Amino acid sequence: MATFFVNGTEVTTSKKQKLLRFLRDELHILSAKDGCSEGACGACTVLIEGEPCRACIPDTERLDGKHILTVEGLSDWEKTVYVFAFGEAGAVQCGFCIPGMVMCAKSLLDQEPNPTEKQIRWAIRNNYCRCTGYVKIIAAIQLAAKIFREGKLPLPTDDSWHIGTRVHRLDVEEKVLGFGKYPDDYYPEGMCYASAVRSKYPRARVLAIDSSKAEALPGVLCVLTAADIPGENYVGHILHDWPVMIPVGEITRYLGDAIALVVAETAEILEKAKKLVKIEYEELPFVNSPEASKAENAPSVHPNRANLLAHKHVSRGNAEEAIAKSAYVFHEQFHTPWTEHAFLEPECAVALPDGDGILLYSTDQSTHTTLHEVALMLGMPYEKVKIQNALVGGGFGGKEDMTVQPLAALATLKTGRPVKCKLTRAESILIHPKRHPFSMDFTLGVDENGIIQGVKAVVVSDTGAYASLGGPVLERACTHAAGPYAYENFEIDGYAYYTNNPPAGAFRGFGVTQTCFAIETLLNMAADKVGITPWEIRYRNAIRPGGVLPNGQIVDESTGLVETLLAIKEDYDNAKVKGIACAMKNAGVGVGLADWGRCKLIVEADSKVHIYSGASCIGQGLGTVLVQMTVTNTSLNRDDIVYERSNTWIAPDSGDTSGSRQTLVTGEACRRACEKLKEALEGKTLSDLIGQEFYGEYLAKTDPLGANVPNPVSHVAYGYATQLCILDEKTGYIQKMVAAHDVGKAINPLSCEGQIEGGVVMSMGYALTEDYPLDGNCKPTGKYGTLGLFRAHQTPEIKAIVIDKPGLNVACGAIGIGEITSIPTAPAIADAYFRLDGKRRYSLPLTDTPYERK
Amino acid sequence: MNANEKGVAMKYIACIACNGGCRSKKDCSYGCLACGACVAVCPNGAITIADELAQVDTSKCNGCGLCKLACPQYLISQQHTPIEVRCSNHDLRSKDHCEVSCIGCGLCQKNCPADAIRVVNNCAVIDEEKCLSCGACAMVCPRKVIHDRRGILT
Repeated sequence: MATFFVNGTEVTTSKKQKLLRFLRDELHILSAKDGCSEGACGACTVLIEGEPCRACIPDTERLDGKHILTVEGLSDWEKTVYVFAFGEAGAVQCGFCIPGMVMCAKSLLDQEPNPTEKQIRWAIRNNYCRCTGYVKIIAAIQLAAKIFREGKLPLPTDDSWHIGTRVHRLDVEEKVLGFGKYPDDYYPEGMCYASAVRSKYPRARVLAIDSSKAEALPGVLCVLTAADIPGENYVGHILHDWPVMIPVGEITRYLGDAIALVVAETAEILEKAKKLVKIEYEELPFVNSPEASKAENAPSVHPNRANLLAHKHVSRGNAEEAIAKSAYVFHEQFHTPWTEHAFLEPECAVALPDGDGILLYSTDQSTHTTLHEVALMLGMPYEKVKIQNALVGGGFGGKEDMTVQPLAALATLKTGRPVKCKLTRAESILIHPKRHPFSMDFTLGVDENGIIQGVKAVVVSDTGAYASLGGPVLERACTHAAGPYAYENFEIDGYAYYTNNPPAGAFRGFGVTQTCFAIETLLNMAADKVGITPWEIRYRNAIRPGGVLPNGQIVDESTGLVETLLAIKEDYDNAKVKGIACAMKNAGVGVGLADWGRCKLIVEADSKVHIYSGASCIGQGLGTVLVQMTVTNTSLNRDDIVYERSNTWIAPDSGDTSGSRQTLVTGEACRRACEKLKEALEGKTLSDLIGQEFYGEYLAKTDPLGANVPNPVSHVAYGYATQLCILDEKTGYIQKMVAAHDVGKAINPLSCEGQIEGGVVMSMGYALTEDYPLDGNCKPTGKYGTLGLFRAHQTPEIKAIVIDKPGLNVACGAIGIGEITSIPTAPAIADAYFRLDGKRRYSLPLTDTPYERK
Repeated sequence: MNANEKGVAMKYIACIACNGGCRSKKDCSYGCLACGACVAVCPNGAITIADELAQVDTSKCNGCGLCKLACPQYLISQQHTPIEVRCSNHDLRSKDHCEVSCIGCGLCQKNCPADAIRVVNNCAVIDEEKCLSCGACAMVCPRKVIHDRRGILT
């Protein structure tokens, strides 16, 4: 029994549980987020006796007499200041880490009202953020400190809400103060908990499932198996190769396969019950690498499917001949590793009965994708299944596939009760698709001036247990492997193999993060041979407006690669030990696929325009972008507009939040809807239009790969970037990263910078410290705290340069930015280390750097 | 991060790696002798001997490190994380020599989310670069050897 104080109120509790559970489940203090419940992430940080502590660590019985403070307990003035400062600085993206950061800030500022930047970094060093790269969180805390010292709130830099302005994002307040709801923050009346028992072996036949002991445990509602699935068991983002649960008699494909779904009244009973489910297996041989998978007589990962998921061949001109005639030829083999997304919010879905259908609160990258797969599994028509986005605590591609959603929906269907299905952090690390590891063989030929003559490559990826987005990732890796340069002899063969490792799928960069490392490294080697700088070789080869890319596409006036090279030139010339790389990345899925943006503006009874679009905001700030577009394209003010989070019954399907597409594709759909609204508003007010809907849609039309046209339009637009890594030659650490990005029109420059900073830090991790180790039995062995993510006291100065160059004539000229921020970083860093020590590095993470983790 | 950077947020505080088992008249050869060398050398009077064990008043410690140099048992280190392993006993059977020692059971290592604490030569050691100061190790230590010097988690 313990009596202590939470936000000034005395509480008493005798139940033995962690403070986090007591705060969330009993007091419904939801600002303390459950990011891992193992002490790693810091999202549950609260103050105990003024000191930052992870609420998931102490049992309540240890806290007798202690004073606990959460964001909810800050004074009104403190709340106002933090909301302002974090909004003004652009520090809030997905928001999941933010309450924890605010509490660290409070503890620091109470002791040191005028902290240095180093002290701020130190104060948040134990709190992870995956979105921001910490840059703007540090700036926010500096600003908050200043406001507290001065005692008055300044005016925001900008609140006109027109495009191009650095407005505070519309969800800052709910995220800073912690009342914004992610699925885990929903506690509907009568809610119970569901979780799946997962496979003991990477590849085994399920012989029998005995759930009798589990079902007999008091508080267990039921144990469901594949036999209970009313509709289709096999779902999947593209290929329906992914069973929601492995039925008796079928084989498992990886350790993350669900076999039995237990539903229980409480989380404690659920854990006990899961251990009581007895599954009998016939262990089978497995394959844990592409080499093993492609071997003759290799075990089949999927019955009735070849182990080769996809083969892509892209060719233009005659690469072999061009290379043979080249003055200098460079040939190397490269390896890039598996990577974990490590978003702060683990997967969670809350499903409720809704008439004779289901309503589900999800964290995902498209409510409509979730709808399609869940309805397919339920065997229900779409009208009966409603998916509503809650806040999404980061995705980066890792929430594009189904994980908890079908399980929650099935449990609700069978029990008639609201059900929360949540993954533990360990399950999240095992289950959702990762970044593909690639083995790459690249050959580059240049002439005596460093002009690229031809590139030939073979790339092999391990796509793991399920297709997920493995085919498109391979395709993108191939199409973008040539780099943003003007030459025409290019050939690449790509192979993606199924294995019994965890699946690989979408992850920021989508195959280009991998092939860019290879081509950019070879280009740096070529520069040295020719006797020019890496900057110069890129300047000579850079694609320019009107030029033809190696895929045959003629690029338009919006092409800004050269501007990005020029933007970093001064920093480049002034630096001693440095490395650069360039990249291009498609905006929009392209290659002939249906790429629709759809947006509805509805004037509701409150005389405001409500924006509905199926596009998920996963932390990148899409809602704010759409509001800014609406303000600019109509005569309305910010106060006239409400952004509604994506759902499936009002918001039209606007595709996945992936492929750096939403700002451009959904943005254009929004703009078209605004045109109609603006016309309707001529001589009228909003009150006159109550009940009216204004719909806009946009198809980003492109040519399929291999289309029989001389100059295919593979993608409607590309983003371009140059990144520069400057090392401190004394210590060998990175002193500064400079990242220049051509984004077309920057709708919200603050958000663009945030994406750049976050993407750079994410792929600094990819380049230097992160890994996703698998043991010989296809099991991932990393934990959140051992993945190697960068922390706030370890990141160097990051200078983000947003090149605001007119884009296309759609989406107000915006092109977008999501993925490319993470693409050229690794090769730029690799080259910098070559300049430091003369060692070329061909695999990631880079070895022999001060960052190397041994 | 160097210890010379001023400011409350980055303090390195003296940590005495002994849990005071000497009080129970067992014969651990590693532990605090209560010799007072650290007390004598501390410029701020931050160390006192109580019940045969040297103890640090963290509000007075400025992280200067003089006590570390003075200790004949090499028990004192400076660390920024408030989570302290208060034992230096490397005997395989430390239990025979101290009632409150680390016994190298490895529960801390198993529960650390960051692989920061490991049993090295039969005694738990924290790698400060990896440590997230979460206190999970302190929660599970069966011997109560791992302390939160702020008095919050332990």
